[in-house]
This record gives sequence, C-alpha cells and structure tokens, in this order.
Amino acid sequence: MRMQSMIPMKQVTLKDLLQFEKRPLSIFMVLLTVGLLGLFATGAILYLMHGHHAYNVTREHPWGLLIAMYVFFVVSSTGLCIVSSLGHVFGIKEFEVISKRAILGAIVTIVSGFAVIALEIGHPIRMVIYNILTPGFTSAIWWMGTLYGAYLAFIIFEFIFLLRDDHKWSKFFGLGGLLVGIAAHSNLGAVFGFLVARPISNGVFYPIYFILSAMITGSYLLFILYGYKYRLNFPKPIEMMLKKLAKVLGLLLGILIFFEVWRMMTAIYGGMPGRADAAWHILTSPNFLIGEVLLGMLIPFIIILKSKGEAIKALVFASLSGMVGIFFMRYDLVHDTQLIPLQTLKIREYQLPPSFVEYMPSFAEIAIALGGVGLAILLYFLADKLFVLDSTKE
Amino acid sequence: MALDYKSCINCKACETACKEENGVLLGADKHRIWVGVKEIEGEFPLLNIASNTFYPSQCQHCDNAPCQEVCPTQATYYDENGVVRVDSDKCILCSYCMNACPYDARYVDDRTDTVDKCNFCSDTRLVRGEVTTACQATCLTKVRIFGDLDDPESEISKVLREREHFTLKTHLGTKPKLFYLI
Repeated sequence: MRMQSMIPMKQVTLKDLLQFEKRPLSIFMVLLTVGLLGLFATGAILYLMHGHHAYNVTREHPWGLLIAMYVFFVVSSTGLCIVSSLGHVFGIKEFEVISKRAILGAIVTIVSGFAVIALEIGHPIRMVIYNILTPGFTSAIWWMGTLYGAYLAFIIFEFIFLLRDDHKWSKFFGLGGLLVGIAAHSNLGAVFGFLVARPISNGVFYPIYFILSAMITGSYLLFILYGYKYRLNFPKPIEMMLKKLAKVLGLLLGILIFFEVWRMMTAIYGGMPGRADAAWHILTSPNFLIGEVLLGMLIPFIIILKSKGEAIKALVFASLSGMVGIFFMRYDLVHDTQLIPLQTLKIREYQLPPSFVEYMPSFAEIAIALGGVGLAILLYFLADKLFVLDSTKE
Repeated sequence: MALDYKSCINCKACETACKEENGVLLGADKHRIWVGVKEIEGEFPLLNIASNTFYPSQCQHCDNAPCQEVCPTQATYYDENGVVRVDSDKCILCSYCMNACPYDARYVDDRTDTVDKCNFCSDTRLVRGEVTTACQATCLTKVRIFGDLDDPESEISKVLREREHFTLKTHLGTKPKLFYLI
C-alpha cells in the first residue's frame, strides 16, 4: 500500500493483468508476444549453453545482430524521450498529452535493450563491477553505458512524477533525462565514430546522425502506439498532436535524406581505399536500398509530402515500414563498420585473399533479437494495465 | 621487436612455437601471431617475383594503442615494459578492442571467454628470466630481434639505428613497436 502512495497505480489483480480484449487484433498481438517471448527464452538458453559459439560472430566480425538490436532499442528510447520532452519540458501544448505514454515507452525499450545486450556482453556482472572500480574514461563504451544507467534512473523518476501529476519535478527530471539521454546517445554514435581503423565509420557523422535518427524513431513509435491504442479513431487532441508530429517528422526525414546523400558523396569522392569501396558496397546492397532508403525514409516521407502531413492514418502504417527501415539502419551501421577486413593479407593456405567480411546472424541471435521486441511489448502491455497513462484532461 | 621480414620463408614455426609456449588453443582463428602472404602479381610468364613476400606479424604493441584507449574497464593496459597486455579478470568481452585494433591482432580465448593477444611471452618466457620470445627463439632464419628499445646499447636499438625500417598503418598514428627492416 505504501508503494501505491508513492507511485500512483491502478488496483489490479493478477487475473486482470492477464486479461485482454477478445478482438482479432488483440488476440493476434497476444499470440505474437507469447511467440516472441518463447523465441527469447530459446535464444537465451542456447547462449547460456554455448556462449558466443551460439552466435555467428567471428574474429573479423566481433559485433553482430545483438549489438544492432541494442542500438535499435536505445535509439527508440532516446527518441521517445526527446519527442516527449517537446511537451512537458519545452511546453509545446499539443505534445503535452503524450508525455506519460512516451516516457513509459522509453523505459520499456531501454530495459529491453539492456536485456538483449546482457546476452551479448561476455561478462555483464563483471562489467558493472569494473565499470566502477577501474573506469576507462577514454572509452566511448564506458561513457555510453554509464550515462545510459543514469538516464534510466532519470526517466524512471520522471515517469513517477508524471504519474503523480507533479509538473515541477517531472520537468526537472525530464530535462535531466533529456540532456543525459542525448549525451549517452551521441556517445553511442562515438563508439563507432571513434574507430580510427574503420574509415567508413570514423568521424563526426554517427554521433550527430544518432540523435537525428532517434527523433525519427521516436516519432514512428508514437504513431504506432497511438494508432494501436485508438484503432485509428483518434480523438481531437490526439489527432491535432499527430498532425503536428507528422510535419516535424517530415522535416526530420528531409534532413536525414540530406545527411545521407552527403555522407555517401564524401565517402565515395576521391576513391579512398577502405572508405569508397565500402560505400559502394553499401550503396548497392538491398539492405540499404530497400531497407533503409525505401522503407525507412521514402515511404513515410512521400506520404507526408503528398498529404501535407494530414494523412495520419496512413502514417501509422508507414511508421511500421519506417521501423523496419530503422532496424536496417542499425543493422547496417554495425555490419558496414566491419565490412573491410583489417587483416589485409592471406594468412593460411587454401584461403582467398581477404575481401568484404560476410556475416549472417545465427538462429540464437535472431531469436534473442526478435524476443527483445516481445519483451518490449509485454512490458508495455503490463504497464498499460498498471498505470493511468492518458492525461486526465482528455 | 624488429623483423628482418625478407628472410622469412613462411615455415610458420613461429606460429607453432607461440601456440605451444603460451598454450593458445588450436583452431585457425585462435592465433596470437601469423605470417601474411602477399600473392605473386602478374600473369604467367610475366610474374612479378618481387611481389611475393611474407610478412610475419602480431600485436604491434602500439605506443598509442587504440585497443587500450577503447577498453571500458581498463582490462587492456601497458605493463612496466610498455607491453600492451590484457587482464583477463577485468575483461568483459565487449569486443570493442577487437573492432578497434587496426591489425586484427586480438581473438577470443574460449577457456576464459576473454580477449587474448600477444604479450611478448611476458607471462611465460620473460617471467622465467629468459630474454627471447618463443617466436624469436624458434625462427630458423633469424627474422626476429626482440629487446629493450629504451636501452641504446641493445641489439634492437643498434639495428634500428643502422637499418632502414617501416611500420604498418603508420598513418593511423598508433606508433607501432613492430619494425620491419628493409
């Protein structure tokens, strides 16, 4: 009971938690979530039995799908945090309605991200210990991990104060979470940007691009969350908010396309080895063309342009395509960083001289990656039952 | 370490000796040192014989090592001799160092599930008071010269004063301490 006086919660029994509407879409979502959680458990068991041998990561390609999935989740979290701050930190009226739902989404996605990365890092408990005892201040991973830890604490407090309708403190923690989140997320970009040995990733692009693509991800997720909640029949305040958000999203996508064009142009121009050849490889790969460009950018962008930001129902579906595109952006950035082998010579007989490093995720990796999505849906579903997420003004 | 690489005959005795001395697990990907082969260029009969060279290599023990810089728990460190080493008790296997090393000199040791690399036999031969590394002691064409770069009278310091040499991927600013003698 004391817990409830601190954190406002609904009175629910275990039975209420497991109940759901018997409508086709809800039943589908429940079955999907159970299936995905089953996959997560299977992948986790395979990893506990075989360690990294359950994954297709190698000496040449040490980072695989799970790193990409971790990035995917924390990008989602930071994005939701940034977009939600438009309302209760910066005081833009239309966006105030989304605060609680977006911050809950941010908590749920980062927790799922941590669950995925815990199954990728070889020694997660040792990490927590030596992160404090012998911190590596020159390491972008140290800063990213530590700041994300602080970020999670900030947004949890922010969520609690939002539930308590305490606007003073929720604004304080909201601003803190926003600043720490942006610092953490740009450090995640720097994890790749600092790699001097990898010309395709080295440089200023990733830290900046991560923040931009986080905002796009946050917008896509809000369209999906609200589209699902209201089954496309939006009440007036939500409709107004989504129309505003669509225009912001259009602008962000325009900037992203502009960034990508110049990134590719500068990578190819001059033909620098290790950068230009990697860029050509990326530019001609279906992952980039279909995944990133078509699904992730063009489909939502064209819908926004054509409808001048009015077609919010179509944008809910375009956001699903957009999230698939966002996944490919994360996957590609991890894979493309490792595309060029650093061992440039043949080192054993019957071996071809090194060319592009290939990688295909194993079953365990795919199971954990998809399972992470299931975990996020489950946490969101439970939290939706436990807390009052919609503004009382609605 | 200086490498008179033109004397290398690619017998791979160094790789074998390294595995034996340091207990490196079997398997093609599990190696601390290697011999890189540059294939002959040109079409028969106009083959470019000079292009067919062997480059014995290993961790460069950079003075400005990217692997040390990126390690979040300081598991990778410089020991008192300036050798880049890994403390397996602190390594969390985030694999950031494997990604950051420009020379692909790191691999995962399956016994400890941590990252391992060449340490110039610091915890095997040097600790026993020997002054050579396993790869150096076994080399039949005397490719390798290992010694103290800070001592101006050491053999390696003399050789580096007298002979032209180069380092790998110098432009990255890692300041490698593996010198290839021309």
